[in-house]
Amino acid sequence: MALPPEPLQELLPLATQIVDAEVVRVVSEGEAPEGPSAPEGATSVPYKLQSQVVVLKVNRAIRGTAKGEITVEKPQGAYLLSAGNKGGFLLQDGAPHPVIIGRYGPDTYRIETLERAVKEWK
Amino acid sequence: MTTINDRQLRSTYSALETQFRADPNTKVDGNGMVKLLAAVADTWWSGQASLEKSLSKPGITRAEQLALVKNGMGSTEKADLIRILDKGAVPLTDEVKSFLEQVVDRAAPPAPTDGALRITGNQAGGLIKGTLAAGSTVEALNLSTAPNARLTAEDTFVLGKAGADGKFQGSVPDMKEGDLIKMRSRDAAGKAGDWVTVRASGLGTDTRNAEVAIFRIGLTDEKNGKISLENINASRQVSEPGAKLMFINERTSEKTTITMDANGTFPADTKLNGKAGDSFSVRASDGTNNKDFSAEVGKVQVPGGTGGTGGGVQLPDPKLHKDEMNADGTPKFSTKRFTGPLYTDGLAATDVKQGQIGNCYMPAGVASVAHVMPEVIKEMIKDNGNGSYTVTFKEEDYRNGGYKNKEITVDADLYVRSYGGPLYGSSSGSTSPDKMEMWWPVLEKAFAQWKGSFNAIGNGGVASEVIEAIVGRPNADLSIRYSDETKVWNKIKTSVDNKMPVAAGTYGKDEASRYTNTGVHSNHAYSILGYEERGGEKYVNIRNPWGETEPWPGDGKNDGIFALKLKDFMKLYQTVYTVR
Repeated sequence: MALPPEPLQELLPLATQIVDAEVVRVVSEGEAPEGPSAPEGATSVPYKLQSQVVVLKVNRAIRGTAKGEITVEKPQGAYLLSAGNKGGFLLQDGAPHPVIIGRYGPDTYRIETLERAVKEWK
Repeated sequence: MTTINDRQLRSTYSALETQFRADPNTKVDGNGMVKLLAAVADTWWSGQASLEKSLSKPGITRAEQLALVKNGMGSTEKADLIRILDKGAVPLTDEVKSFLEQVVDRAAPPAPTDGALRITGNQAGGLIKGTLAAGSTVEALNLSTAPNARLTAEDTFVLGKAGADGKFQGSVPDMKEGDLIKMRSRDAAGKAGDWVTVRASGLGTDTRNAEVAIFRIGLTDEKNGKISLENINASRQVSEPGAKLMFINERTSEKTTITMDANGTFPADTKLNGKAGDSFSVRASDGTNNKDFSAEVGKVQVPGGTGGTGGGVQLPDPKLHKDEMNADGTPKFSTKRFTGPLYTDGLAATDVKQGQIGNCYMPAGVASVAHVMPEVIKEMIKDNGNGSYTVTFKEEDYRNGGYKNKEITVDADLYVRSYGGPLYGSSSGSTSPDKMEMWWPVLEKAFAQWKGSFNAIGNGGVASEVIEAIVGRPNADLSIRYSDETKVWNKIKTSVDNKMPVAAGTYGKDEASRYTNTGVHSNHAYSILGYEERGGEKYVNIRNPWGETEPWPGDGKNDGIFALKLKDFMKLYQTVYTVR
């Protein structure tokens, strides 16, 4: 469902780590949930795409101390990741892996926006 | 005679001087020192006699005495004590002299023997110094800045490590006078010690008021005139421990002040007087700043109100989207009356911003009409002058194949977030209730009212059907998947040249993976504002109804408006929406 990104003020308190990173590989994918039918040409249809477990190569930690390669979970939602996708990832604590938050993953907010917000947040 | 400014200390030392004059062998011993220190460190809440009793308590250690004295000693008493040390007439025993040197920060305390964390001196220069078991680390957390960060009580950082002599020092980033710094030791085996909290001093004037994480304040109507107040993320702070938060009910003007507990959250069972829909002004004070509570931190509102808080008529509001309803059917958000102008500086596509609802097809369609037919929208929205608006849509008339008017009247109550701003569609400028440009939110609300609820319009749709409902013309969509560049370009060019509203939609679920990192989103509708040819390349001018987010780097504005090469447009978009 093509909703605008969640307000940063709602995401930042949840993000224990924020990293500038690139997807190295997709480790596994869940099942795509059954979605609603929609008329031809419809948009904002409330379907969800499958969850994924991916490995990120961290270029830089904007919040937290992550470095090297980390395994994270992309929950069911409005986007999919593939190797080479990059940007700012907001990560929430989760088990067994941290969970990517933000409705559009690395496209939710630009790195510059995240950096500025983290500074202003303190 | 030694000059001593503090009255109690002067009186106590004068008695020792008298004793010395009578017996030149007199020295200030342990008992005399306790009397002096009690005079040095007395406060309005702990008088000299009480402090003397505490300082001479059986079993008290020098470290505990030092902490007691430090807690109450001011700069005047400290200066007096230095004069006693340097120029006092009465001799001091070596032990007393050594201890008093520590009290005035001129000698380091001996390394502790029990390994417990102790803080010495003030935090001048931004440094925290102290002692603990050699090799142990000190973890710290600034409780005064934690509320608006993500920090839980366990989100500490390593402040420093004790050397072989048991001493450590470290700095807390952005530490300011009056900040509460919480610390604990952790030994080599990973065992954590008890928490120790100090209020930073020696850093100048305390100018940082207590922060408030207003987004963590949860209000629930108990339907008995009481509102329960809770921290919606109990593992994190609402404010700093001991801070006072004042809640002013804007309907009744009643003020309620609440003191944050040791965890920086509300004490259990905290209540306010009020009802669903009430709005509260929140103010805070750390006891030094904003003591009169004149400065507002923000506002919070009790969900579940049935009407706005402004004047004018009250009409039923369309129900919220199902995602914004509680399990029992009650709304998570309440409404507020908006009183801003219908139009500000005319009417434009850029006024339109999609809210947190899955109706992108609607703002994309409405903005495309606003771009080429602003007069049609002006004609369809009538301000009734009583806080309500009548919006006239076009509905298919199956009797004659044409269109008939469908009038919907709504008031200016909009669903709002607890911390302000509309939940659904808003305008690009100010979103404050008295300033926001109203034409687009009113149009969206009327559309939801017509279709039954925000849920009815918030689960996807087709942009051209919205355009049709505004301009009263049948849709004439083009599927890009089954077309070619020439046909698509001509369709866009013809529509734009004829000043017809035109929009475009991207592919959905099956093609979603192609969109990540493109700056264009799948399952999303966009307005088409125009076209251009430059450098032998065809471009489509597009607007994201979010009013932001576009292919990077774009033109640097991030206003959602961007030019996309036709060949990229062909890959990313599946439908061109327009009307005949």
